[in-house]
Amino acid sequence: MLSRIGNSLFWLGRYIERAEHVARYTKVHYVSSLDAPLAQNKEIALESILDMVGVQAAYYQKHSQLTDDDILYFITLDDTNPFSIATNINGIRENARGTRDSISIELWEVVNRFYHNVNNYNAAKFQHKGIFNFSREVEEFCTLAKGYVSNTLIRNEVWMLISLGIHLERAMQLCKIINTKLYDIAKIDPGKLGGPIESYQWTMLLKSAESFDMFNRHYKNSSSRRNILDFLIFNPAFPKALTYNLTYLQNNIQAIGFQEGANTKGSLTFKIGKLATQLQFLTIEEVEENAAEFMTKTLDKLYNLARLLEEKYLVY
Amino acid sequence: MNNVRNFEMYKGIFQDYHLNPAFLDEVFSLDGEVLPHYRLVLDQFKHFTADDFKELNELAKVSFFNQGVTFAVYSDKARGVERIFPFDLFPRIISAQDWSHLERGVIQRNMAINLFIQDIYHKKQILRDGIVPPELIFSSSHYTKAMLGFNPVGNIYNHISGTDLIKHRDGQYYVLEDNVRCPSGVSYVLSNREAMKKTLFNLFRKHNILSVQDYPQQLLAIMQSVAPESDNEPNCVVLTPGVYNSAYYEHAFLALNMGIPLVEGRDLFVDRNYVYMKTIYGPQKVDVIYRRIDDPFIDPLAFNPDSVLGIPGILGAYREGNVTLLNAPGTGAADDKAVYSYVPAIIKYYLDEEPILNNVHTYRCEIDSDYHYVLEHMEELVVKPVDESGGYGILVGSSSTREQREELKRAIKANRRKYIAQPIMSLSLHSTFIEDENKFEGRHIDLRTYTLLGKDKQFVLKGGLSRVALTKGSLVVNSSQGGGSKDTWVLAPGP
Repeated sequence: MLSRIGNSLFWLGRYIERAEHVARYTKVHYVSSLDAPLAQNKEIALESILDMVGVQAAYYQKHSQLTDDDILYFITLDDTNPFSIATNINGIRENARGTRDSISIELWEVVNRFYHNVNNYNAAKFQHKGIFNFSREVEEFCTLAKGYVSNTLIRNEVWMLISLGIHLERAMQLCKIINTKLYDIAKIDPGKLGGPIESYQWTMLLKSAESFDMFNRHYKNSSSRRNILDFLIFNPAFPKALTYNLTYLQNNIQAIGFQEGANTKGSLTFKIGKLATQLQFLTIEEVEENAAEFMTKTLDKLYNLARLLEEKYLVY
Repeated sequence: MNNVRNFEMYKGIFQDYHLNPAFLDEVFSLDGEVLPHYRLVLDQFKHFTADDFKELNELAKVSFFNQGVTFAVYSDKARGVERIFPFDLFPRIISAQDWSHLERGVIQRNMAINLFIQDIYHKKQILRDGIVPPELIFSSSHYTKAMLGFNPVGNIYNHISGTDLIKHRDGQYYVLEDNVRCPSGVSYVLSNREAMKKTLFNLFRKHNILSVQDYPQQLLAIMQSVAPESDNEPNCVVLTPGVYNSAYYEHAFLALNMGIPLVEGRDLFVDRNYVYMKTIYGPQKVDVIYRRIDDPFIDPLAFNPDSVLGIPGILGAYREGNVTLLNAPGTGAADDKAVYSYVPAIIKYYLDEEPILNNVHTYRCEIDSDYHYVLEHMEELVVKPVDESGGYGILVGSSSTREQREELKRAIKANRRKYIAQPIMSLSLHSTFIEDENKFEGRHIDLRTYTLLGKDKQFVLKGGLSRVALTKGSLVVNSSQGGGSKDTWVLAPGP
C-alpha cells in the first residue's frame, strides 16, 4: 500500500472518531446545561466544551464573549475553526476521496452524502434544527461509517490502518475528556464536593464517553470517583475504556507488520507494547490521586506514538 | 400494433415535438415516423407523463451526486461547489449495422495513426515520400525528440484513443477529431449506464444492448500486454495529478474498477532507471503506468522543470524499457487538426485500404482548385490556420462580417500553405428532456468512442459518450459550455 494512502486511511479513521467525540461532548454538555440552576453552571459547561476541543484561545480571538450561539457555531460549523465538526467532516471526506480506490463504495457514499448534508447547513438551518439534532446526526453518521468499515472491508492493511486511526483517536479523546472533567470538578467549591454538583459532573463524564449505561450495569449503580475512573481507564472489556483501546492498538500494529525490528526501543511495536502492558499492570489505586497528571502523560505518549507512525511509515 | 408510428400519436411528452428539417434527427424521420430502432423505447415512454420524467430525472441526479460523480466548479466559497455532468434519460441508440461500421472504422483509423507515430519517430518514410509535409510534424510542440529511435513494447503508442464523431445531414458519420493523448470521459459512459439501469430498468428487458462494463478489464489486459518483460506479475498503476484535478473522479473510478493503485507523482520515485512507489512496507517496483498527466508535466528533468506533478527521471526509465507509459509521450504530434486532414492519406499509405470513416472534407489552400473554392465560398466554410490551436485564427463563415472575410482572403493570398477550410458541419439532433421546459426538444449531439490498442489486441468500447448541447440551437457540446450526456446503446446484431 502507498504510504500516502496509508496516511489518508489513518486520518480517515481519526477524523471519524474525532467528529463523533466532539459532537457528543458538545451535545451532552450543552443540553444538560439548559436547565442548570445557576448561570455560572451554564458558563462552566460552555467553557468545558472549548477546553475539551482545545480551542479556548482560538474562540476568544474571534469572539469577545462567551455566548451559546457563538460557541455552538464555532464548534460545529465554523470553517475557520480547524477543529470544528464541519472541518472534521471535510477531512473525513477528503481522505475518503483520496482513497476511493481502496475503500468500499458503501463507505464512500455514506461519507459523501453526509459531507453534502453538513455542507448544506447555514446558521439559520442550524438554529432551526438545534445542537441536539445536529450532533445526533453526526454521531449516527460516524457510527454508520464505522459500521461500513466493519462490514464491507477486507481485513487487510486498509481496514487495519482505518481501525488504527479510530482507536488511537478514541484513546486520545478519552484522555482529553477525562482530563477536562477532572479539571471541571477541581473548580467546584470544596465545601460542595461529594454532593450533587460533583456527581452531576461524573455523570457528564460517563455520558460524554457514551458509557453511562454500561457503567451502571457493571457497577450496579455504585458510582464513585474511583469506580468511574477505574471503568474508563482500566476496564479491559469495554470498547470506550483506555486499556481496551491500547490493547487493540498493540494487536493492530503487530498485525500490520511494519518492517521493523520489534525489539528495538525506537520501534512502534515496542512503544505501543510498553504503553499497553503498563496499563494492564497498573491499578486504580496507583493513579487515583494523580489522575490528571497520569492522563496528561498518557496523552503525550499517544501523541508521540502517532508522530512516530507518520514519520516512519506514512511519509510521501 | 402497427409497425410504423407517427410521433404525434405519442400524446403528452412528444405532442409539440418540433422537427427541424435542416438537421438529421436521430429518433424521427423527416415525416415524423419513429425510426425502427427507437420504437420500443417510445412505446415505453408514451406511458410516462412529463412529471414522471421530472421525477426520474431527479432520482438520477441524486444518485450521481451521492456517488460523487461530479466535477468541481471553483468559487469563492472555502469548499468548492460541485456539479454533476447533466445526464439525459433518453438513450441514444446505435443500430448493430451502424456500429459494426463505426467499430471497424475507428480501429482502422487508430491502427494507422499508431503506424504513423512510429514512423515519425523512426524512418520518417511518410514524410520522405511527400505524403505528409515534414514541417507540419517537426513544428508541432508535441513532437518529442526523446522518442526518436525508441521502440515501446509491442510498438504501440496510442493505447487509448478517443475518436470524436458526428452524424451529418447525409446520414453518414464523420470524424471530427482524434484524441490520442489523454482522452477522458469513459467513466461517465459506465456511470450513465448504471444510472439508466437503476431508473429505467424496464427498457433494458426489451432490448438486447451490448455491455460496457468490461472496459476496465479490457484496459487492464491492454496494460498487462505491454508490460516490460519480467518474471513477476506486472505492477500496473493509474497516475493522477491529484484530488483537485477536475477529472479525478474518472482516475479513481478506473483504478478502482481495475483493482490497481491510483498514484500521484509524489508517490513515485526513480532509482537507477527503475520506477518505484513508496509503500508502508518500503519501495515497490512499478511496471506499467496509465498516466493522466500531460507530457509537459510528466518528467521535470526532461520537460517542464517547474512541474510538481511529475516524477524526475521517469523518461530515462522509460527509454531503458523498464517501465511502460500509456499513452506514449509524443503522441500529440499526431492528433492536431493539421494532421487530421491527412489521416485518410495516412490510412492508405500504411494499410493500403480505403478509409472506412469519413473525414470532414478539408480544402487545402495550397492546392489551386481548393484555393479558388475557399475564396468563393467563404460564407459556407470554417477557415482555420494549420499551425494554431485553441480556436485562434478560426473564421466561421456563416457568422463573419464582410471585413473579416476580406482580411482573411488577403492573409490566405499571402500564405496559402498556412490555411485549410472545412464545410460547417450540421450535428444531428436527438430529443432530450429539457428540465426548464418540462418536455422533450431536439438538441445537437456528438459521439466519443474509445479504442484500446495493446500488443496484438484491439478493443472498442461498445457504446461511447454521447455529448449533448443543452442550449437550444447550440453546436457546442463541451461540458465546460454547459453540455450534458446520454447513455449510448449499441444494439446486438441479429433479430
